[in-house]
Amino acid sequence: MSGPTIDRRGLIGAGVAGAAALGLAACSGEAPVGQGATLAKGVSKADFAGAIKAFRAVVGDEWVFADPETVKPWAKTYVPDPGGRHRPVGAVCPATVEEVQELVRLANQFKQPLWPVSTGKNMGYGMSSTAAPGQVVLDLKRMNRIISVDPDLCTALVEPGVTYQQLHDYLAENKIPLWIDVPTVGPIVGPVGNTLDRGVGYTPYGEHFMVQCGMEVVMPDGEILKTGMGSTSNPSAWQAFKWGYGPYLDGIFTQSNFGVVTKMGLWLMPAPPVYKPFVVRHPKMEDVSRIVDAMRPMRINNIIPNVVLMMGAGYQLAMFNRRGDVWQGTEPVPDAAFEKVGAEQGLGMWNTYFALYGTPGMIAESEKIVRGAFEAIGGEVLTEEEMGDNPYFHHHATLMRGGLNLDEVGLLRWKGAGGGLAWFAPVAPAKGDETRGQTELAKQILGKHGFDYTAAFAIGSRELHHIIALLYDKSDPEEEKRADACYRELVTGFGEKGWASYRTGVHAMDLVAQQYGEVNRTVNARIKDALDPNHIIAPGKSGIA
Amino acid sequence: MRRALIAGCGVAGLAAAACSPSAASSPRPPEKVYASTCGYCHGANVGPIIRGRALPAEQVTAVVRGGLNGMPAFRPSEISPAELDALAQWVEASKADPKEKGK
Repeated sequence: MSGPTIDRRGLIGAGVAGAAALGLAACSGEAPVGQGATLAKGVSKADFAGAIKAFRAVVGDEWVFADPETVKPWAKTYVPDPGGRHRPVGAVCPATVEEVQELVRLANQFKQPLWPVSTGKNMGYGMSSTAAPGQVVLDLKRMNRIISVDPDLCTALVEPGVTYQQLHDYLAENKIPLWIDVPTVGPIVGPVGNTLDRGVGYTPYGEHFMVQCGMEVVMPDGEILKTGMGSTSNPSAWQAFKWGYGPYLDGIFTQSNFGVVTKMGLWLMPAPPVYKPFVVRHPKMEDVSRIVDAMRPMRINNIIPNVVLMMGAGYQLAMFNRRGDVWQGTEPVPDAAFEKVGAEQGLGMWNTYFALYGTPGMIAESEKIVRGAFEAIGGEVLTEEEMGDNPYFHHHATLMRGGLNLDEVGLLRWKGAGGGLAWFAPVAPAKGDETRGQTELAKQILGKHGFDYTAAFAIGSRELHHIIALLYDKSDPEEEKRADACYRELVTGFGEKGWASYRTGVHAMDLVAQQYGEVNRTVNARIKDALDPNHIIAPGKSGIA
Repeated sequence: MRRALIAGCGVAGLAAAACSPSAASSPRPPEKVYASTCGYCHGANVGPIIRGRALPAEQVTAVVRGGLNGMPAFRPSEISPAELDALAQWVEASKADPKEKGK
């Protein structure tokens, strides 16, 4: 089966031609520091100017940015921000851990909050924009050393700026037969940032925090903490044993603002002898329930070992098509339209992607079980033999072996040229009835605000993340406001049923934190006060102010 | 004996060696930057083809730093000023690659 012919040039060509006139050039030399910016609470103009001057002395003038023009690359975001609350006021780019320590000490002195980012490319979660106004991005991208790779233990130790592309290239150049595991935008993001935000990928090592091992953290007072075995006299097991001794601390540095992670260990999967990707097509929206019920036992008993993506036709079509190719109305795209165009492009209403890894014999045995389970519920079980160069199958077959692509960036073109995306990601147990309930509620809320149901489910093992891509035209101020309101209703509407998000963008961190209750928030706030009394690390991250 | 490879720009044994592909001292060539960043979208059915169109270098620079519509912005910490200068010139002078998809 061949894929659709796709021509996207016309989509943004006109925009490219017009961009130079917008004056987006980054390096404009001297410009007024913090001109027109909203500073953080309690920070005076003199404090801000003093902090920027001191930061320049640490990293050099060329790596500090503090005027609206040069800060633009850090301000670009896809999430709705109708009030402009999430624009950073500056950026500072250290190259070493010693520079990070010094910057943190200076931030305390001037009470200037810092917002750490690793690669700053988490797409529909806010990129390098900040949760609250007045923060300076602590951009760790220049810290991009792969410090070690151990081919025997199958581990790596990397800095925050290392991308999956870089790690992939390193393994290939050194002929080390280990795989990486990537989220959907692997080339431009990296293991540290994705793991710290508890992101996932799609091989058997897809739950990234599960395969993380050891951290180096610059604490808010500038001291360095090494977790697990890292603080022993000979840390040879730092990347081999997660727990060390005493309370396990790594978790409090994920989705938090308790320190700046400057090194992180991770486990890498040995390349399997054989890799075989599959897709199972189901024709109807209501099939979601029985797919989850069939999948659950095979994930728990590890017949299917990878993080499974169950992709709705809408999400898939939005990657490689414009909305007008599928539906011309202004109301949300009806299921029937997704079904029709999906079928033309080799898609079912649900497309469940998984893979088998191992020896030919192991794969043959597992395939019998998997085929039996899905064919019993009306699924078409398909492989490369049938799917050929279908672009959707190719995309997922690439992801499930840790391969690199940026196909998902195509989502940004679905609703015109404006480039608006916010991922809403509520968790549910892997049970069919709850999955059906989530699908119905999502369609109801999205429909009320006039947005399409472009969604997928990532099935971890006993749980699933419902990944809803809220796609809107960010160039239309009215639509941006509507997207913001819609997202908030999704958070609260799902929250009432206990379906809280596993992760969110800077625009909704406080609201999502509210869904987890006051005791949870108070404990986090107490830890924050104890470790960072001046609140200089990322106030507002995950609703911890 | 610890057999870990120490990765210092691919030079074994250089523990904690300075290895910063985006530092001004070791800019990546434009072909490398294009292949590992731009080319995943442009010419791969996601963004428009940009090679062989004589796009002015200053325009390329502006779009890279500011982002445009669905395209993310790329910061000086990701693509250094020296790398971007070379990349923009290279894109302007490039010939179309018939293998790229998306026209």
